[in-house]
Amino acid sequence: MGDSMTKANASAAPQQAGLHARSNAALNEPRIAVRGLDFFYGSNKALKNLDFDLPERQVTGMIGPSGCGKSTLLRVLNRMYSLYPGQRATGQVLMDGQNILDDSTDINALRSRIGMVFQKPTPFPMTIYENIAFGIRLHEKLSKSQMDERVEWALTRAAIWGEVKDRLNSSAMGLSGGQQQRLCIARTIAVRPEVILLDEPTSALDPISTLRIEELIDELKRDFTIAIVTHNMQQAARCADQVAFFYLGELVEVAPAEQMFTAPKQKRTQEYITGRFG
Amino acid sequence: MPGEHIVRSYEEQLKRLRELVARMGGLAERQVADAATALIRRDTEMATAVVGRDGEIDALETEIENFCVRLLALRQPMAADLRLIVAAMKVSTDIERIGDYARNAAKRAIVVSQQPQIGSLNGFQWMARLVQENLKDAIDALVKEDAVAAERVWAADAPVDDIYNGIFREMLTHMMEDPRNITAATHLLFIAKNFERIGDHATNIAETVHYAVLGHMLPEDRPKSDASAYTVVRPPV
Repeated sequence: MGDSMTKANASAAPQQAGLHARSNAALNEPRIAVRGLDFFYGSNKALKNLDFDLPERQVTGMIGPSGCGKSTLLRVLNRMYSLYPGQRATGQVLMDGQNILDDSTDINALRSRIGMVFQKPTPFPMTIYENIAFGIRLHEKLSKSQMDERVEWALTRAAIWGEVKDRLNSSAMGLSGGQQQRLCIARTIAVRPEVILLDEPTSALDPISTLRIEELIDELKRDFTIAIVTHNMQQAARCADQVAFFYLGELVEVAPAEQMFTAPKQKRTQEYITGRFG
Repeated sequence: MPGEHIVRSYEEQLKRLRELVARMGGLAERQVADAATALIRRDTEMATAVVGRDGEIDALETEIENFCVRLLALRQPMAADLRLIVAAMKVSTDIERIGDYARNAAKRAIVVSQQPQIGSLNGFQWMARLVQENLKDAIDALVKEDAVAAERVWAADAPVDDIYNGIFREMLTHMMEDPRNITAATHLLFIAKNFERIGDHATNIAETVHYAVLGHMLPEDRPKSDASAYTVVRPPV
């Protein structure tokens, strides 16, 4: 498809996007638009008629109690649920006008456009270099020098290059938890996706590693549209431009982070974020 | 008011914060009332007591401020809790200023009591009562999280300004009639100004409370009628 072309532009062009200050309340055009989305685990409806946008090159924080559907939503956004029989989504998830829920969607191509990072670091039992190169080879054919360059680029963007550049051929399993998670982020951005989904990316990390990842998120949003699921409200407050609160599969409220954490409109949001959920 | 917080000790701390502000507000109300009474009764003992008690208000301000900083650091409050804590800090600053004005009025009441009486002091009594009521209602609104009551206080300052304007003209007149009145009349003018400022701080508190409860600000323009800045009294020809 024209996919590789859009990607070629992606690495060079998007510098101007970084100028968008978080406080500029106006949110960008949606990169992904969710419309009337329902999701079912068998007969159990886990997402109910969701409507919302992931604005281009902004961070959307997703919060809500366990089981509210936020991780399910991430799994829908990159079609991971398609791996499991009995799980289905209806409605629309629009990316460039195309509904990615359609059967005709090329799932491999989709996952190179929408990358995902999980709660626990999941490095492959390979060298650091191979961890990055592995995913790239699935989608692109690069020469050795191009590949070296791409690996360095991804590790640099994930703010871990300096720590691993002298041991690219050592096993990734020898890295600390925080380094492994940044490696996983590097692996995700190595294929130059447009959207990065982060599912509680710091819940297994110490506070300093957490801050490194948060700093990285801030840096990455210049080029990527990011959705982050987090149980840590302060983290959502620190990282997100807009925040969505989910409860029992419904989207209760979505608002700029500042408004969400100073004066949310919905009573349920207010009760949840102040710790009065009963 | 939202439901109980899941962490009981946090709920208790928020409750304690409200109580501290209420106590500080109550003290300030009493200071205002006593300063006015001391003036009207020419009671220097009472006035001296007012001056002496101001330290209690200052100490409470410090206590509230420290408590709020602790809550901010340790609880990372959000939404309504965050607004309450920020409001408590702002309100305690307003109350502290109110205490200073009451103390200043009491000090001047001592001087005035040693001067010949001029005119009636009814206006002062009224003014003190009005601002004291506004102060009480504003603090109650904070404790009860009542935005409607807060807005009522916010809009109720105009009568205070009217009385102040009246006193201003009256005092200028006394001074022109007899230069021996100048000492007392000048102090009385400052006392009136003190009460008028107390009224303004009560409306500040009401604004803060309104924000704390609802999460949005009241409009910039408040109903006002202080015209003393433009008042001219012509000397008798």
